[in-house]
Amino acid sequence: MVRNQIHWEDVKVGDEIPSLSYDIDWRRIVAQVSGSQDFYPVHYDRDFAKSGGHAEIFINTGFTQSLFSRLLTDWVGDEGWLCKLRMEMRRMNRFGDTVVLKGKVTDKYLKDGKHYVELDVWAENAREGITTPSKATVTLPSRG
Amino acid sequence: MAKTPEEILEEARKLIGTETKPVPMRYPVEYDPIRRYCHMNDDTNPLFLDPEYAKKTKYGEVICPPLFIGIAGGSGPWPPPKENAPTLPPVPTPGDRSINLTTEWEFFKPVKVGDRLWSKSRIADVYILSIRLDPQAFWTLTERIITNQDNEVVAIGRNLGLKHRTPEQIKAAGGQKEAPVWYATKFTGKM
Repeated sequence: MVRNQIHWEDVKVGDEIPSLSYDIDWRRIVAQVSGSQDFYPVHYDRDFAKSGGHAEIFINTGFTQSLFSRLLTDWVGDEGWLCKLRMEMRRMNRFGDTVVLKGKVTDKYLKDGKHYVELDVWAENAREGITTPSKATVTLPSRG
Repeated sequence: MAKTPEEILEEARKLIGTETKPVPMRYPVEYDPIRRYCHMNDDTNPLFLDPEYAKKTKYGEVICPPLFIGIAGGSGPWPPPKENAPTLPPVPTPGDRSINLTTEWEFFKPVKVGDRLWSKSRIADVYILSIRLDPQAFWTLTERIITNQDNEVVAIGRNLGLKHRTPEQIKAAGGQKEAPVWYATKFTGKM
């Protein structure tokens, strides 16, 4: 199996990367607990969430990170590398939302022989708009 | 008489700078937790899932998704905590409800199935800052350094989270009270 590989020379500032979309339904809520091993009930127990002042259960940090992890590792391919991700969870992605992950190239440069790309990446939903503004740094292989 | 948030903060801030020894994660990095991690977001990347595929890549073995590293040695009921376990002391807070705000991870080396990881943690800051749910929420910044069996740093993570009180706890404490401005000022520039 050979997978498509993007190269540094293919990328322009302003390029958008392929997005991902997730419906936050009960199946996804169960999967987030299984995959992240985060058993804090605010992420799956409505009564607990509401007793703390929240309107609804919301997705956890590990799951949210995993969405950005997939967004970026899908894009950089086998030869690329995620160097850094800074993720700011400013608004909730709740049960019932459809969470969409997007990204845009903001810079590219060569440093110490490595080919870097900087991106703004974010999660958004229809109820809140952008919920999780984030920044990523990746390296890509060069054709040179 | 119950302590005020300010008194609790004074105790909490004495913990700033506290760090653990490197703590070994429970097991080596394994295939199945990675598979469950990938299943939660429908990730079918063969680099993370298919040993035969991974063998033909530059890594030679399945590697874990980068953000998996932070939860690889997650907590659980076994093994039971030991009195002398090198874990961070709990930061005293008036509330017991948690929300994470900002995480930042840097990744330096691939982590492969079979690798042994160590985690060292540090309390970097504690302060009060108002949120909608609680005018005196306690914010804590922690740092983690993850190393492998060759003592190489594979990742460094920083986490900014808060603990808030329930509406009932705030009411029992005398109702809403705005946080002093200097706490908010201290937040500027953090992370």
